[in-house]
Amino acid sequence: MREDWEPDIIVFACNWCSYAGADSAGVSRLQYPPSVRLIRTMCSGRVSASLIFEAFRQGADGVLVTGCHIGDCHYVDGNERCQEMMEMTIRLARTAGIDERRLGLEWISAAEAGRFAAVMAEFVERIRDLGPMSREDRSVSSRTPGGVEEAGGARR
Amino acid sequence: MEGSVLVIGGGIAGIQASLDLADRGVRVFLVEKNPSIGGRMAQLAKTFPTNDCSI
Amino acid sequence: MGPGSLRSAAEAGADQLRIGVFVCHCGTNIAGFLDVDAVAREAGASPGVVYSVTTMYACSESGLKEISESIRKHNLNRVVIAACSPRTHEPLFREVCGEAGLNPYLVEMANIRNQCSWVHMDDKERATKKAAALVRMAVAKAARLGPREPIEVDVDRRAVVIGGGIAGMNAALDLGDAGFDTVLIEREPDLGGRLRGLYRLYPSGREAREVLEEFIPRVIEHRHIEVLTATELTGVRGFIGNYVLTVRTGGDERELEAGVIVVASGADVLEPHGLFGYDGERVITQLELARRMSQGSVEAGTIVMIQCVGARLPEREYCSRVCCANAIKNASMLVEEDSGRSVYVLYRDIQGYGTEFEDWFARAREAGVVFARYDPERPPLVDSRGVRIYDLLLGEEVLLPADLIVLSTPMVARPDARSLGQMLRVPVDKDGFFLEAHVKLRPVDFATEGMFLCGAARWPCRISEACAQASAAASRALVPLVNGKVVVEPVVVDIDEAICRGCGLCRDLCRYAAIEMVENERGLAVARVNQVLCKGCGVCAARCPSGAMTLFHFTDEQIRAMLRAARPALLAGARHGDEGGSAGGVR
Repeated sequence: MREDWEPDIIVFACNWCSYAGADSAGVSRLQYPPSVRLIRTMCSGRVSASLIFEAFRQGADGVLVTGCHIGDCHYVDGNERCQEMMEMTIRLARTAGIDERRLGLEWISAAEAGRFAAVMAEFVERIRDLGPMSREDRSVSSRTPGGVEEAGGARR
Repeated sequence: MEGSVLVIGGGIAGIQASLDLADRGVRVFLVEKNPSIGGRMAQLAKTFPTNDCSI
Repeated sequence: MGPGSLRSAAEAGADQLRIGVFVCHCGTNIAGFLDVDAVAREAGASPGVVYSVTTMYACSESGLKEISESIRKHNLNRVVIAACSPRTHEPLFREVCGEAGLNPYLVEMANIRNQCSWVHMDDKERATKKAAALVRMAVAKAARLGPREPIEVDVDRRAVVIGGGIAGMNAALDLGDAGFDTVLIEREPDLGGRLRGLYRLYPSGREAREVLEEFIPRVIEHRHIEVLTATELTGVRGFIGNYVLTVRTGGDERELEAGVIVVASGADVLEPHGLFGYDGERVITQLELARRMSQGSVEAGTIVMIQCVGARLPEREYCSRVCCANAIKNASMLVEEDSGRSVYVLYRDIQGYGTEFEDWFARAREAGVVFARYDPERPPLVDSRGVRIYDLLLGEEVLLPADLIVLSTPMVARPDARSLGQMLRVPVDKDGFFLEAHVKLRPVDFATEGMFLCGAARWPCRISEACAQASAAASRALVPLVNGKVVVEPVVVDIDEAICRGCGLCRDLCRYAAIEMVENERGLAVARVNQVLCKGCGVCAARCPSGAMTLFHFTDEQIRAMLRAARPALLAGARHGDEGGSAGGVR
């Protein structure tokens, strides 16, 4: 791995807890590596397996989904749905030959600025250790059900 | 809603009071002796504790 | 699959897109730590962007004027604002764009301050690179945004106040006086909260009992207030304008409907078990002292008060604020009652604020109260003879023979605040106090619309502060109550019935009973969504096996476009390579 290699990391953050935690980390000027790109969703339960695999297809080296702590979800229990989805996604990733350590799920509350920064730093470090995702892995990821669904794209 | 309210002073307190009243449909006259509203807060670059931009 | 085949209709029609990008300096908050000109230049080269500039403060009067003038002048049909958090500023930018004739849902923000300049302060180059990526992603989403009108919801013009202490009673009175039926819930058998255990109050010196005797009958007899004591909240559902609370009084359960909820659930006072020999007899808390003073049963010649007991420590970092004034008031009164008494106040720092504090401080000194500062590294020691303190001014250890030792302990969050927060779906901070929507801009609102907070449930506060916050919370709560209507975001799910296979998974997943299965004209089962009930979590959209569910403003198409735009290499590849135009200006 090159010394100057920068991983590309997508972080999904729910509006009510984790995105607010990211805002608080900013307000507190907590520094973390700039390799992460946040995408806001209203609830972590909005994130689907196909979006996660799409992130890998589009060049992400790691995907982290963040939401409210269990019991704190703004939408009753959308985060529990997210957890189920992640478990399934990890199984699919394994089948597809994607190192499951490239996927993460963390609960970060609006008040946990320090935790947000720490989680970002840890995940970036984890992906740095794993190194860039190979072309082969990416092409495998396009054969995952997310990719099939995209190809099937009944909507389009 | 009928009636109107005079708010004296266009600093952050006067502005917020005016907004909350106006949001309820009350007609508000906000009076400020300076040429612009904003008061002390408008003079600050960053405000505690979030240290973000001011008014 | 090649990325080219993913082009959507919106993207294919990129010629019609006229996206304007405004990159905010935020004074030096952003511009001091990344190259805003470079970010604007790169954004200007993105597909669909016809105008890209930097602005000193996008949210200032002149900044907003510039945005609305640019919309008209350059005929912009999408706006991207690269600045701070949509959680605080999106409503403002939407409103301004709306006034300039652009549908408010055609606005997107890139949070290059909280997520970039503030958190990558030592690496301007990489911060700039990241900011450019965040703006590309926002532009990609903006290109796929669609217009929509906000949804108007009727408001149930009743309120519920949780907590019958001084804050809750005051909030209920303000709401009731405005003519709105209000239910006040109190867990204890009596109203009054923390005031019930207090003697004379700071700064007025009035007896707490007198204040309660004045307040409680007004609350109980108010024609718009219903008081439910010995009542526990057991559940909350609904949303602004339409909350349903379940409460239990004894064995009886009851449902309360309300448009707004005010949380005034108060705080506890730390019991200092294991600290400074606390035994409830010779070593007591300020609360116990207040009880003894009210009964006239303080029998002690020498009294030593120790401040900051269990406060301002690694496990409880905050200053409880009210304890200094309380100790000074009690110390003064003890000496004034009996000039033969010696009273010492051992402190780390004195927290004094408000116009009355210096008067009370002077009064205590004149009465003969002795103040001595201690070092938290060498805290006072309590033994059978009294209190040993290393006096920082004398530079030596002193023994204070004490008959009574009074510990000033902080107000702490109630242990069940977290579970109450979970019930209400509102957050608590690291110390377990409730967290407001914004510390300065929305200090008595929760982030959840239609919920408000006041008093010590948020932070240790004085009675006067609790009352001021209560009136503020009631005033904010009155906005939807008076209007009788509230506008909610149209972030709801649309179902494409032509694709829906009628499996019913979405109906089973929905926590708001917003989806029902109906028969379409061809006799097939399809899902239908009630958009007033839909809260826009998008769980159904994530799970739908057919892709029939689309969450407005957070569509798969938009998120996929953001994922593509996250990396420059793919954006600058075959698809868009030739579309780059002149930077930082109009094309």
